[in-house]
Amino acid sequence: MLTDELKKGSAEFLILSLLEHEPRHGYELQKLIESRSKGVLTFHVATLYPLLYRMEERGWIVGRWVEKSGERRRRFYRLTAAGRATLQTQRASWREFVTAINRVSGGMRYV
Amino acid sequence: MYDWRADVRARLAGAGLHPQDEAEIVEEVAQHLEAQFAELAMTIGAEGARERLLAQLRDRGFDDAALGRKRRSNVEPRIWVRGSFLRDLRYGARSLRRSPGLVITGVLALALGVGLTTVMFSIIYGLLIKGLPFQAPERIAMIYRTDPTGRGQETLVPLADFVRYRADQHSFSSFGGYRQGRANVFGGDRPERLNVAELTDGAFEATGVRPLLGRTFTASDNETGAPLTAVISYATWRDRFALDSLVLGRVLRVNGRPHAIIGVMPEGYAFPGWQQLWVAAQLDTRGLRPGEGPAFTIVARLRPGVNFPQANAELSGMARRLAAEPTDSAALRDLAQPFVRATIPARVYALLYAMLGAVFLVLLIACANVANLLLDRAVSRTRDVGIRVALGASRLAVVRQALVESGILALAAAGVGTLLAQAGVMSFNRAIVALQADRPFWMDIRLHIPVLFFVLLVAVVASVVSGLLPALHAARLDINSILKDESHGASSFRAGNLSRAIVVFELALSSAMLLAAGFMTKSIARLGTLEPRFATDSVFTARVSQLSTDTIRQRRFLAAMEHDLTALPSVGAVYLGHGLPGGGWMGDRVAIEGHVYARELDYPMMRWLAVNPGFFTVFRVGILRGRAIRQSDRRGTQPVAVVSDEFVRQYFPGVEPIGQRIRLGVSSKDWLTIVGVIPTLYAAGIPSANGSHFPPEVLTSFWQGTDASTATVALRGPTAVANATSVRNVVAALDADAAVFEAARMSDVLNQPSWPLRVFGTLFVIFGVASLILAAIGLYAVMAFSVSRRLREMGIRLALGATGTAVVRMICVQGLKQIALGMALGLFLGTGLVRLLRMLLFEVQPSDPRVFGSVIVVLSASAFIACLLPAIRATRVDPLVALRAE
Repeated sequence: MLTDELKKGSAEFLILSLLEHEPRHGYELQKLIESRSKGVLTFHVATLYPLLYRMEERGWIVGRWVEKSGERRRRFYRLTAAGRATLQTQRASWREFVTAINRVSGGMRYV
Repeated sequence: MYDWRADVRARLAGAGLHPQDEAEIVEEVAQHLEAQFAELAMTIGAEGARERLLAQLRDRGFDDAALGRKRRSNVEPRIWVRGSFLRDLRYGARSLRRSPGLVITGVLALALGVGLTTVMFSIIYGLLIKGLPFQAPERIAMIYRTDPTGRGQETLVPLADFVRYRADQHSFSSFGGYRQGRANVFGGDRPERLNVAELTDGAFEATGVRPLLGRTFTASDNETGAPLTAVISYATWRDRFALDSLVLGRVLRVNGRPHAIIGVMPEGYAFPGWQQLWVAAQLDTRGLRPGEGPAFTIVARLRPGVNFPQANAELSGMARRLAAEPTDSAALRDLAQPFVRATIPARVYALLYAMLGAVFLVLLIACANVANLLLDRAVSRTRDVGIRVALGASRLAVVRQALVESGILALAAAGVGTLLAQAGVMSFNRAIVALQADRPFWMDIRLHIPVLFFVLLVAVVASVVSGLLPALHAARLDINSILKDESHGASSFRAGNLSRAIVVFELALSSAMLLAAGFMTKSIARLGTLEPRFATDSVFTARVSQLSTDTIRQRRFLAAMEHDLTALPSVGAVYLGHGLPGGGWMGDRVAIEGHVYARELDYPMMRWLAVNPGFFTVFRVGILRGRAIRQSDRRGTQPVAVVSDEFVRQYFPGVEPIGQRIRLGVSSKDWLTIVGVIPTLYAAGIPSANGSHFPPEVLTSFWQGTDASTATVALRGPTAVANATSVRNVVAALDADAAVFEAARMSDVLNQPSWPLRVFGTLFVIFGVASLILAAIGLYAVMAFSVSRRLREMGIRLALGATGTAVVRMICVQGLKQIALGMALGLFLGTGLVRLLRMLLFEVQPSDPRVFGSVIVVLSASAFIACLLPAIRATRVDPLVALRAE
């Protein structure tokens, strides 16, 4: 199980990554993180939404209410230019970090 | 489907979010929880799923969501944009124009409240606050002697102490003393009885008013043996000397002694109480020890920079030094107080402030009415407000908009209320015009500038009180649900609770007011139907005062006057005595032969009057048993008394009173034999212990009594004969120096002592009726409102077969609960109010169950009608129409 500290540091990165190609709403984000991590990473409302609002505040993402026919309106988040740039930087530093960890611990070398 | 919005909203309450932000978060998070709940419920069951999600929602991390959003709303403030206030005003005025009914009702209700409050405040301001009409009146002090144990009465300061104080004090820039009285003044065509004050130097200076002509008293005028001097009032100068500029140096005979006029005071100056003439006191302090000498009231002006506590500290210090010397005044304390505070009795202060409190209750009732009207409006405009909030109006802006509307109403009410107050003040002044010298000379009741400020203040308070609840109600609405038109019923339900609470409050206040008004009405009615048991029609009275101190001459004069007045054509009878029945009874203790009284307090109380035989014919007082006072009851014959049947009932129960002996006063040695019994006559003023104005009474023979230089006469006869002129002519022919004063018709004399009840009691009845009307309208409005909101429900009930009676009963029962609760609270409150007003009650006990009963009946009847009308309207609902409505 991941510690809370690690989860917090990685959470913004995970959300930015998931929004890279398409806008998603909060519930979808939670389900995707849960399923792709095979239940290792879980979020709930009290952790997810504060994060989303903080990221929106920083200008990385933008939420917008979208109404599709026959559905209730939902708030979809998409990346902004600033968010995309942040994602690039974070992706690079994560890669560096993971590589470094693997080198030290002698783990798998597929990266 | 479980709706999570309420939980999320509750979780966010207190975060102080902008309503738009809050609404968005609520919707987004609630959607999320809903989806998650649907999923979880399938695996762990609805109950467990709900528990788990609620636990997640409680996570502290959620507070960050609020924080993130709050920052955003601070970036773009949407309140207090320039010009927005004007826009509010325009918008408010426009929307009020669309509801003229609300405007008229609201403005009239508030104007009534404002008007009554203002009348009461102008009375308090003119009498108690404004002070003396002199420069810096708040620095004018009166110094008098009090008993710190509170048992004794306030007394004046003896000359010896006054002189010591004056020599030693540093707190006052001027320091003088005075004694008030009346004197026979001769200095023109006829003698007159004038209000005279005997003054030391420093007394005029303390008021800071300079004479119009001549000078005021100096220390040398106060020396014994100095030439006698007098200062006259403007009115005296005008009436007796025709404004003659050579008046200085002319001589007035005051109580027979010639006084040279040295000054004339400016118009309106009558200090300390309707004085027409001031004479210099001659102070002989030789051989006086502390606590000795004639007593003076001290009037002094505080030195700049000195306040009352400092002055009192200095007085106490001086009093302690005096007390170190042998004297019996050690237990007493001399106290300096602002002049008005010291002059007006504390019970008058209590009465007037209690009445101000009472009119504030009326104002509150009016405010509650307007609050209800505005609340009704707020509910019907829910959607309007919702749209404004959704478009970015902040809560503060919504509240402000609502307050602007109530403010417009209150300002209009202030205008109308001021007019009402002006009319009220004018009629109050008309009502007290007959009081003349019985009211303080500085009393000046008008809409002074500070009173107008008070009106403005009241209007502001009224607009906030009546506007705030509806405004907050509007601002607390949940805009999402409003816009979706889901919570219409819920919000009007909440408003309904609020307005029902307001009505309970209104009913409580108005029952309190009505209770007070009920006691006043009963008192006034008792006064109006009062049967004094003596005749006052065609009776003319006056008082006659002689200068002579020789008792033989006094008696000869009185006997001659009795004879000459009786000889006047068509005068049937002449009364001569110590005072008039009604207001002129003297109170004292009485001893009954055969009883032993250990202490002074054990002697029973009674009222007495020394009368000549004419008393029984002039006032048409019949004899129940025995005989009346006869002309033959003179000095040297057996002293006699005639007692009232109340006296017999209390002091001779079951005993034959005729032949019994009594003694008047504790120290008297003369036994009076009871020779007759009369019906108990009315005695005005402070009632006896059991609250009755028909106390035990004793009549003694005027010709057997002690001598007095002043006597009261009363004639029965047509006004052409029984008038001031004929009495003056008779008196003048016998003694040129004797003065005739207080000449009046007996019916006016009898009414005089009851003026506070008639004036303030009438005011109270007005307050009570106003509050009843306002509360009934309020209750009606709320019931009508709640019925119209529930038209659909009524329709369903009727469609399902409810009878009209059942519907009426349902609505009335709901109203009756409020009526009962409000009335219970109000009667409790009112009992306290009536106790404060006790001074005004006449022949009514503050616990009189009949008054309580009638107030309950009147109030429940009007409240019930206010419920019944809307209830009956509800039964007329056509189910089809009602169901289709909304």
